[in-house]
Amino acid sequence: MKTDDDTARRLYRLMVTTRALDAEATVMQRQGIIPGYAPLKGQEAAQIGSGAALDLARDFAFPTYREMGVAVAMGVDLIGYFASHHGSWHGGLYDPLASRFAPINAVVAGSVLHAMGWAKGEKLSHGTGVSLAYFGDGASSQGDVHEAMNFAGVDDLPVIFFCQNNGWAISLPTERQVAGGSVAARAAGYGLAAEVIDGNDVVEVFEATNRALQRARSGGGATVIEAMTYRVGPHSTSDDPGRYRSIGEEQSWALLDPIDRLAQQLRAAGADDAFFESARTDARETVETVRTGLVDMTDRPLTELFDFVFTNPTPRLLEQRDAYLSNAYLSNEYASEATHG
Amino acid sequence: MADITFTLPDLGEGLLDATVLEWLVAPGDFVERGAAMVEVETTKSTVELPSPRTGVIAALHVDEGGVAEVGSPLVSFAADDDQAGIVGTVPADEVPVRRVRLTIPED
Amino acid sequence: MAETLSMQAAINTALDEILTADDRALVFGEDVGTLGGVFRVTDGLAAKHGSDRVFDTPLAESAIIGMSIGLAIHGFRPIPEIQFDGFAYPAMNQLITQLARMTYRSRGALPMPVTLRLPSFGGIRAPEHHGESLEAIFAHVPGLKVAVPSNPSDAYSLLKQCVADPDPVIFMEPKSRYWHKAEFGQPAEAAARIEAELPIGVSRVVRPGRHVTLVAWGAMVARCIQVAELAAEDGVDVEVLDLRWLKPLDVAGISASVGHTRRAVVVHEAPLSAGLGAEISALITENCFDSLRAPVQRVAGFDVAYPAGPLEDHYIPSVDRILAAVQRTLEYRRG
Repeated sequence: MKTDDDTARRLYRLMVTTRALDAEATVMQRQGIIPGYAPLKGQEAAQIGSGAALDLARDFAFPTYREMGVAVAMGVDLIGYFASHHGSWHGGLYDPLASRFAPINAVVAGSVLHAMGWAKGEKLSHGTGVSLAYFGDGASSQGDVHEAMNFAGVDDLPVIFFCQNNGWAISLPTERQVAGGSVAARAAGYGLAAEVIDGNDVVEVFEATNRALQRARSGGGATVIEAMTYRVGPHSTSDDPGRYRSIGEEQSWALLDPIDRLAQQLRAAGADDAFFESARTDARETVETVRTGLVDMTDRPLTELFDFVFTNPTPRLLEQRDAYLSNAYLSNEYASEATHG
Repeated sequence: MADITFTLPDLGEGLLDATVLEWLVAPGDFVERGAAMVEVETTKSTVELPSPRTGVIAALHVDEGGVAEVGSPLVSFAADDDQAGIVGTVPADEVPVRRVRLTIPED
Repeated sequence: MAETLSMQAAINTALDEILTADDRALVFGEDVGTLGGVFRVTDGLAAKHGSDRVFDTPLAESAIIGMSIGLAIHGFRPIPEIQFDGFAYPAMNQLITQLARMTYRSRGALPMPVTLRLPSFGGIRAPEHHGESLEAIFAHVPGLKVAVPSNPSDAYSLLKQCVADPDPVIFMEPKSRYWHKAEFGQPAEAAARIEAELPIGVSRVVRPGRHVTLVAWGAMVARCIQVAELAAEDGVDVEVLDLRWLKPLDVAGISASVGHTRRAVVVHEAPLSAGLGAEISALITENCFDSLRAPVQRVAGFDVAYPAGPLEDHYIPSVDRILAAVQRTLEYRRG
């Protein structure tokens, strides 16, 4: 499949927006607007190229906690997305079903099995949708990734295991993380298709994801995509990469910047200054909207502390909620009455 | 428990059916896996089919003299509901032995 | 007309009816399909309902639970089995960090109507990690519910309630009671009976008495009924309360029973320390302090790894250990 010029321009705009939001998130952390953030700078192509390939009418993505670019590509409510980093709600405030984007998941590799299970459901429903599991080189060490790939192989499930190999799992480099040096190589053991791709080339990521989607839709089963990329920034806003890697290494990856690379290609294909300026303007507008949304974000209503533990809550939980919300717990009578019924 | 049903297997190349000559078991019988279960006649020969399973016969689906098609139900076994699992043993219902005696409270 | 049925057959009947009534229900796990489960609980279900509805999975418990979560997000109603209690340990991460929290994390957008069937508890001379009692671990986790049947009728109706509930429930099947037959209505009657069944979280007095309440669940209910019969020989009238649900706990039911007997002994197979006996004892103290004639007693497994062979008879609360605890409540005098 050849990616046309309009698509390339769309991918470029999404990457520029993602880069601007990512930078702003770190700024907001330094300004005390959000308590913490996991930057993705350098990984925009891997995230936009894969997320933009999904069909929101039938596919479903399962992110970790560093997939803001995928959220941008899939049109997720970004204020709702950043609500997780804002500390308002673990998992975010967006609607995961409407967004086709599962709640942000803080457990490394935890959601990879969910993508496999969703794919099982899609196969049982005779649908043509595909699930896409995001995970990193660090998560690839978790048993859940292997169990998910094995189940997917046994059942020929329509799932894409999308590994962003960004070189570092906090302080541990890939060569100390992944035996054999490749996550994609493991696919052979499960009978899955696999591709190692340049994760900093958004067009290559987009096309590889489309190939995997097509394979899954036509009954060809799961694919492991290992997108080789680089986490240019720290693991999180409280991490200091200077303790474990060199400036030289970081600078060598800067030369492979995914946005610069696509910009050169677009310019060569005829994109003019007005296009680049409009991409920057759109990004600034999105940043402003998200920033304003987060600055204005109020605490969740206290009742939500209790409201979503169960769909059908237990009497004891309701009693704890009612006593706390009504301040009844301050009364001496509460202790002897509260636990009745 | 749901009964477990077995269908008539293909007894030779391309056979479509077989005639039941004689049932050697009846509903309620306990049969061992491999024991002679039914005599059937095909266009090629008369053969005795062994029981595919150990258990109690729940139903015979073809009368003697009737024709069973390959793949159609032949016999059902009642699912056994008191056999042990793959590990462990069924505990016996024993009358407990006691040493402790009680005193009636005053109230 | 009533017939007798074993618990394994009662659960099989419930699963069969659930699969027939709800085409979103799925039964899966290790060896549950062709084999019919290592305890034959799913016997015949795959043949009847097809391998899309009842299927074998590879041998990986974490994936069985993770798959259940993905299926629930897709809109299915998964009824996974983990083959033995001790095999739940490899799935604990998915159970606790994912299944129990997905509804909360998604703010209710992703309900998790998952019923995990878990053959549990000891008493069958099984190998290591085939006799564990994990109920306190599960009951401690926000977002999980826990149900434990003690007899075939309850196993049937409780399982149907668990599957109908929109939340994750751990359904702990007392495997030492799988083969014990008890009176059970015909399936049609039983299906009608479910309408009149006790609501979620309600216990049942299985033997009324006036001197002391034995609080139990699972296989310990039958043992406590034995104790009650022995106590009657001495003229002591023992009430046996079958909790049925360990989360939610029936605080009102426990309080009502102990409120009139004024003495309580909690009996469980799980190790004593930080077990549910502590929770129930605390609830009784909070709610029945003025009525109590004696401190609440606990009879439990010892704080040891679940033992092998004949040692399990010493580990599991015996009638003598329970009787001795009853006697402690009877002879207690305020000092």
